[in-house]
Amino acid sequence: MTTLEKDDIQGLLIRGHGNLSSASYLLYTFTDPAKARVFLQEIVPKVTTASEKPEEQALQIALTYEGLAFLKLPPALLNSFCREFKEGMTELQRQFILGDTGENAPQNWTWGEKNIHLMLMVFGKDLEKLESTLSQIKILTASFQVELLHTLPTGMLHARKEHFGFRDDISRPIIRELLKEVPGDTAGTFPAGEFIMGYKNLYDEYAPSPTVPEALDKEGELPHHPDDATLKDLGKNGTYLVFRQMEQKVHAFWQYMQAQSSDKASAIALASKMVGRWPDGSPLTLCPNQPDPNLSEANDFGFWKEDKAGLKCPIGSHIRRTNPRDHLVTENTQKDSTEMAAKHRMIRKGRPYGPPVTPELKPEDMLDSIEDDRERGLHFICMVTDIRRQFEFVQNNWVNFHKFGGLENDADPIIGNHYQHESRKTNEFSIPKYPVRRKLDHLPNFTIIKGGAYFFFPGIRALQYMANHD
Amino acid sequence: MDCNWQTNFFILSKNFYQPMSTVHKGLTITVTLDEEKIPYVNGLLFEYRKDLSIYQEKYHKSLPSTFFISWLTLPAQTYAGKEKLPARIILMSSYVGSKSSHIQELATFLGPQIKQVLSQSREYPKNDLDKPGLVSFLKRKSIPNTFYSGFKFISTTEVDKEKKLKAEVWKYAQGLADQGDPSSPKEVKEKIENFVKNHPQLVWASKKIPYGLSNKVHMLWPLALFGLVMLTSLVSIVLCFFIDPLVIKILACILPLFILVVVFLFLLLRLNENISHEPSPELSDEKVREIVALETNPVINEMTVIAPLKRGWIRRVFLALTLKLVGLVSYFAYIPTVHTARWLQMDKGKRLVFIANFDNLSEAYAHDFVDSERRSMNMAVIFSHAFGFPATRWLVHKQYNHRSNYMKGVRAHQKVTQFWYTCQQDLSVENLKRNRAFRAGLYKEMDDPEIKDWLLTL
Repeated sequence: MTTLEKDDIQGLLIRGHGNLSSASYLLYTFTDPAKARVFLQEIVPKVTTASEKPEEQALQIALTYEGLAFLKLPPALLNSFCREFKEGMTELQRQFILGDTGENAPQNWTWGEKNIHLMLMVFGKDLEKLESTLSQIKILTASFQVELLHTLPTGMLHARKEHFGFRDDISRPIIRELLKEVPGDTAGTFPAGEFIMGYKNLYDEYAPSPTVPEALDKEGELPHHPDDATLKDLGKNGTYLVFRQMEQKVHAFWQYMQAQSSDKASAIALASKMVGRWPDGSPLTLCPNQPDPNLSEANDFGFWKEDKAGLKCPIGSHIRRTNPRDHLVTENTQKDSTEMAAKHRMIRKGRPYGPPVTPELKPEDMLDSIEDDRERGLHFICMVTDIRRQFEFVQNNWVNFHKFGGLENDADPIIGNHYQHESRKTNEFSIPKYPVRRKLDHLPNFTIIKGGAYFFFPGIRALQYMANHD
Repeated sequence: MDCNWQTNFFILSKNFYQPMSTVHKGLTITVTLDEEKIPYVNGLLFEYRKDLSIYQEKYHKSLPSTFFISWLTLPAQTYAGKEKLPARIILMSSYVGSKSSHIQELATFLGPQIKQVLSQSREYPKNDLDKPGLVSFLKRKSIPNTFYSGFKFISTTEVDKEKKLKAEVWKYAQGLADQGDPSSPKEVKEKIENFVKNHPQLVWASKKIPYGLSNKVHMLWPLALFGLVMLTSLVSIVLCFFIDPLVIKILACILPLFILVVVFLFLLLRLNENISHEPSPELSDEKVREIVALETNPVINEMTVIAPLKRGWIRRVFLALTLKLVGLVSYFAYIPTVHTARWLQMDKGKRLVFIANFDNLSEAYAHDFVDSERRSMNMAVIFSHAFGFPATRWLVHKQYNHRSNYMKGVRAHQKVTQFWYTCQQDLSVENLKRNRAFRAGLYKEMDDPEIKDWLLTL
C-alpha cells in the first residue's frame, strides 16, 4: 500500500486537532511580494505536519489564488490550478453553482473579498495557549507587513454538537492509506487521492494537481509529477481547502419547528426529519420513532434496503443529500448509487463559532429560549482534491437542486438556499407518509453564508518552494 | 415575424398535431456553411434566442409536438489530422408523433427564421421556397439519428395536464389526511379515483392512457425483427442437419455471418486501438466560461458535443453499427437525469454528434457517465471512437486516466448552442416519470402494498 509522506503533509489534513479546543482563523493580505516570501520562509518551519501529534498548539497555513499571484509565482504554475480556484468563490458562475444568491449573495457577506491572500489557522490546547501563539504571530506578521483583515475565532460546543443542537461530524470518510491494514471490504474507506494531491483517487488516477515546469524548480525542491516527467508536482501532499462561514439562525429554526408542531416532542421529531438524525446523532433510518443513544455514532447503514422510499428518513433530508450513501433515486441499482455517491465525498474540518443558545444545546431548552442578537454558526471547512467534483457538485446538485431525488420545490432544509420567485421555488420540505406526503412550505433560510473563499492548502515542500521562489 | 406567429399559431394544433403514437423521436437537419458566414448566422440565432425569451408562450402553443430544439453553427473541424470537415448549420429537435407533422409544424411556425438561416448555405435553393418547398427541403436535409428519451410516451400536452392532475389530487388527499380519515389503502384509492372522475378538469385522466400497446410495438418491432431473423437463422442451422432446401441454407448463413462480421470488426478495432492516443487540447478557461454562461436555466439545460472520429475507417464502420444496435435497444436504455439524447454520424461518418437535454448543469450531468463503472463502459462503446476521448482496449476496457480524458473530451468538443428551446422549464425527468406513474396507477387493480407505493408518487 502507498505510504503517505506525513512529514510533508500539513497536520489538519489527517487530524482535526480535536484535543486543541481553542482555535482562531486569521485572514491576511500581503503588502509586498518580497516581504511576503520572507514571511513564508519564517513561518513554514512553525507549520504543524501530519507526522506530529501536537499537545499544546498547532499552526496551519493556506493561500488563495490571489495570494499565490501576489507572490509572483510563475504564470505557468498559476495557470495550472483548477478554474474554480482561480475564479474564486465569489465569481458569478461559482455563485450560480453554489446557490449564493439573495440573502446568501457575496455582496451581503462580511468577508470574502479578493484581497484575502493568506489564512493562518491557529489551534491551542486552551485559550491561554492560543493567545500566546497569536501574540507571536502578530509580531511576525507585523514585521513583514502582512496585514490582518479578519479574525474568525472558533471553538467547540458541548458533546460535539452544532448550534441547532444536533451531533455533528459523525460520518467521516476514512483515508485508506492511514489504516494499518487494507480492509477486505473497502466500503467507507477512500484512497488518499480523493483528499490529498499526489496520490491516486477513486478513478485510479492521480488527483489533478498544480504543476511547475521542471526548469522553474531550480533548487529541485519539488517531486516530479507522476503523469508527466517534465513537470514538478506543486500539489503533492497538498489539497484545496473550502471555507464557508455559515451563520445559523437557531431561534428561527426552532420557532419554525414549533409553529409546525403540536408539542415539543413533535417539533424535535420534525427537526430530526429535516436533519435525518435525532439530536443525539442516532439515524432515523435505524431508529425512526425515537432516538437510540446506542446508535448516536452509527454510521454503518444505508438507505437502499432500509428506507428507499424515505418513510423513515425523508429523501430530501440533510444527511441524504450530503451523503446519499447507497441510494440515489435517479439510479437503478444500489451498486451504481454507491459508486456515484462515493465520488463526491469531502473531509470536513469545520468548527462552530459564537455562543451556544443554551449551554448543553438541548432542543427542549432551545425551544423555550428567548431570541438574542448574538451571531453564531459554523466555520465550514472541507478538504478536497477536486473542488468541482466534490464540494461544488454536492452543493449544487444535491444540496441546492430543488429537484433532487424527484422532489419538486425542495432545497436542503438545513443548509439550502430557500426562496421563491417566478421561475423557481426552493422553500418546501416533503415528508413521505401514508396516505399522502406532508409538505412544509415557506421554509426560511436557517443558515446564511457570511463569508467564504477557496484556498490552496500546500504541502511543506510546496510552501518552501513558494517562499524561496525569486 | 410577429405577424406570422399571430396568423399561424392558432391553426397549428388543429391542423397538424394529430399524433398516431406518443413515441419520442429526434429530427436532425443539417446543411454546410461557408466559415465566414458563421458570425452572421450566430448573430441571427442569438436574436431568435432573445425573441424566444419574450415569446415563450407562443412557441409553446405553436409547437405542440416539440419538446426541444437545439440550433447551432458548427465550425470546420479536422479529421485524421488532415481532412477538413465543413462548417455546418445544425437544427435538432426532439418531438412526439409523426415526423411529417413535426416538420410541417416547424415550417409553419419557424419558417421565416429557418429560411433566413438556411439560405446562408450554398445547399439552399437559389429561389425562395414556399412552405411545401421548405418542408420538402427540410426532409431532404434530415439525417437519421439514434434517439433516447427518458420520459417515454408522454406528449407535450400531457406534461402540463399530468402536473395539474397530481397537484389537484395531492390537495384532495391532503384534505383526507387532515380530517384524520382512517380509510384503508383501497378506500383511499377509490376516493381519489372518484374525485378524478367527478372533477370536470381532471375527468380526462379516467380514460386509459392512449397508444399504450402501439407505442411499445412501434419502438420494439425492429428489435423483434432482428431477433426473429437471428432466431430463424439459428433454427435453420439445426434444420440443415436434417433437411436440405436452399432457403434453409441461406437462412442458416445469416447468424454465423453476422457473428463473423462482428468478430472481424472487433479484431480490426483492436488493431486500431494500438494507435497511440492523442488527447484533446484542453479548452481554455474563457471558452468554458462562454459555454457555461448559457447554462443558467434552473432545471433543464442542454449540451451539444461534436467531435471528429479517431483516424481509421474501422472507427466509422464500427460506430455506425454500434449506433444501429443501440437504436434497437433504446427502449430498454436508461440514462439518469436525461430528458432526451441523440447520437449520430455526419460527413460520411467522420463526425460524431451528441446532444442531450438534461437536468441541472453539464458538470453534474457528465458525472453520470464516469462515476459508475457500468455506465462508463456503456459510454465507451460510443465515445471511444471520437477524437480526444479516452483510449480503450476491446472497446470497453478502460485505459489510464479514462475519467479525466473523458471529461476533457466532452469539454473540448462541446459547442455553444446559439438557440435552444424547451417546451417546459420546470419539471425534471424524475418529476415527469412520477407524474406519469401516478396517472398510470389510476383505476388499476392493486393490492394494499402496491397502493401505498403508488401513493408515494403523489
